[in-house]
Amino acid sequence: MIIMKFLGGLLVLISTSLIGFFYGNQYSNRLNNLVYMEQCIKMLETEIVYGAVPLPEAMLNVYKKGNKKVSFLFKEIRDHIIENKVEEVYYSFYDLRHILKNDLNFKQQDIEIILSLGRVLGTSNREDQGKNFQLILNQIIILEKEAKLERDKNEKMFKSLGVLVGLAIVIILI
Amino acid sequence: MRNKDIEKFNNVLEYICLDLKEPLNALPSKYKTKIEEIRLRIGCPLIISFEGKDYFLDLQGNPTTNYDKCIKVNKENIIKTFKLISNYSIYAFEEEIRNGFITLKGGHRVGITGKVIYRGNIIDTIRNISSLNIRIAREKIGVSTNILEFIISPYNRSIYNTLIISPPQCGKTTLLRDIIRNLSDGYCLLNKGFKIGVIDERSELAGMYNGIPQHDIGLRTDVLDGCNKKDGTIMLLRAMSPDIIAMDEIGSTSDVEAIHEILKAGVKVLATVHGKDIQDLVSRRSLNVLIEDKIFERYIFLDNSKGVGTIKEILEGENFTSILM
Repeated sequence: MIIMKFLGGLLVLISTSLIGFFYGNQYSNRLNNLVYMEQCIKMLETEIVYGAVPLPEAMLNVYKKGNKKVSFLFKEIRDHIIENKVEEVYYSFYDLRHILKNDLNFKQQDIEIILSLGRVLGTSNREDQGKNFQLILNQIIILEKEAKLERDKNEKMFKSLGVLVGLAIVIILI
Repeated sequence: MRNKDIEKFNNVLEYICLDLKEPLNALPSKYKTKIEEIRLRIGCPLIISFEGKDYFLDLQGNPTTNYDKCIKVNKENIIKTFKLISNYSIYAFEEEIRNGFITLKGGHRVGITGKVIYRGNIIDTIRNISSLNIRIAREKIGVSTNILEFIISPYNRSIYNTLIISPPQCGKTTLLRDIIRNLSDGYCLLNKGFKIGVIDERSELAGMYNGIPQHDIGLRTDVLDGCNKKDGTIMLLRAMSPDIIAMDEIGSTSDVEAIHEILKAGVKVLATVHGKDIQDLVSRRSLNVLIEDKIFERYIFLDNSKGVGTIKEILEGENFTSILM
C-alpha cells in the first residue's frame, strides 16, 4: 500500500513538474527562436542587399546556413512560393503562422513582425530592401529584450511552481 | 525540332500568371511552334503574334480576330506575371528593369513599359507596369552554314569584317548567333575555330541566365553580358585576346568608336544593324563614317520576303557590288 502511495505521489510530482517545465521552457524557447530568427533574417539581408540573389535561391541559402530549428521556415516558404506561384510572398508567410505560434512559441507581436517581412520582401530595390531589413531587425532586437525579461521572470517561477504544486498535491493526498 | 519549339513555348508559359496560362496552354501545337511574341497590355486583349501577323486569343485558346470574344488582360494579370518573371525579386533585376527588359531562362526576353522614375539624370526604376512583351527566343541552328563561304577569307585564314542589316524581326540576331556558333566551333573550310568575344549588350545573342548561355554560341566564345559596346571592347581586347568581336545592334557614335578600337587591334568584327538598304545606313551620320571608311568588307541584307531570315543581298564592301550568286 505504501509502495502504491509512494508511486502515485511520485507520478503526480513528475507530471506537475513536467507541466511546470513545459510552461517555463516556452519562455526560453521563444527567446532562443527569436535569436535564431534574427540570425536568419541577417543572412537573408546579406543575400538580398549585397548579393542580389533572387528570393527563392536566397531563402534556400538561408535554410542551409541557418540554425535548422528556425531556418526550416525559409525552405517551407520557398517551396510554397514555387509550387503555388503565389500572388504575394506574404501569403506564403501567412500560411506558416500556426507553426510560428505552436512550434516556435512566438507571440502574436513576434508573428506580426515576421509577417511584415513577408509584405516587403522582394517588392523594391536593394536600397529599400536594406532599410526594411534594418527596421525589422531593430524590432526583433526589442522583442528579444522583452522576451529575455519575461524569461527571467517566468521560467524559474513556472518550473518551481510545477514542482511545488506537485508536492502540495502529494502532501494533501497523503 | 517541333518538340523543342513546343518545349520552349511551355517554358515561357511557366512565367505567365495562371489565368492567362490556361488559354495559352490550350493553343493547338501548330501555333505553339510558331509564336514569336506574347503581348500583355492592361485593359487590352492578350495578343500573340507569328508570321508577321497578330491575333487575339479566345477563352478556349484559339486565335481569333473578334474583339468581343477575346481574353482581356487586367492589372492583376500583369502584376502576377511580372512577379513570376522577376522571381519575386525586383531587387535582383534592378539593372535589367532600368534597361527595360528581363532575360528569362531559355534566353527569352521580356520587354517592360510603365511609369519611368528618374533619380537625377539616370533611370531609377519602372513602376506601374502597363505592358509586357514576351519575346520567345527561337534558335535556328544551321541558318548561317550556307553564307559562311561569303564571309570567310581563305587566303589569310580569317574572316571579313561583316555587317548584317535588316528591318526588325527579320532574323539578324539569329543569323549572327549562328555565325558565331559556326566560327567558334570551327569551320571546315578553314579547319580552325576562332576565339570570339561577344558583347551582348541586350542579352539577346547568348541569352545569359545566371552566367550560363541559353543558346548554343560555340566552344570558343566568351560573353560580356549586359555590357555597353565601348567598355566591352576595351575589356575583351585587354583580357581575352579574341580573333573576332561580335556585337548586336550598333548605331550610336560610341559603338562606331568601339569598332575603330577593334580594328586598331587587328581583330575582326561581326555586327548587326537595323536598316533596309545601304542608303538607309548612309543617311545615318554615325554609321556613314563606317561606310565611307569602308570598314566592313561584307554587307548581308536580310528581309522576310520568303519567310523570316531571307538573304536578300550580300554586298562586297569595296565597290558595293553583289557577290550573291
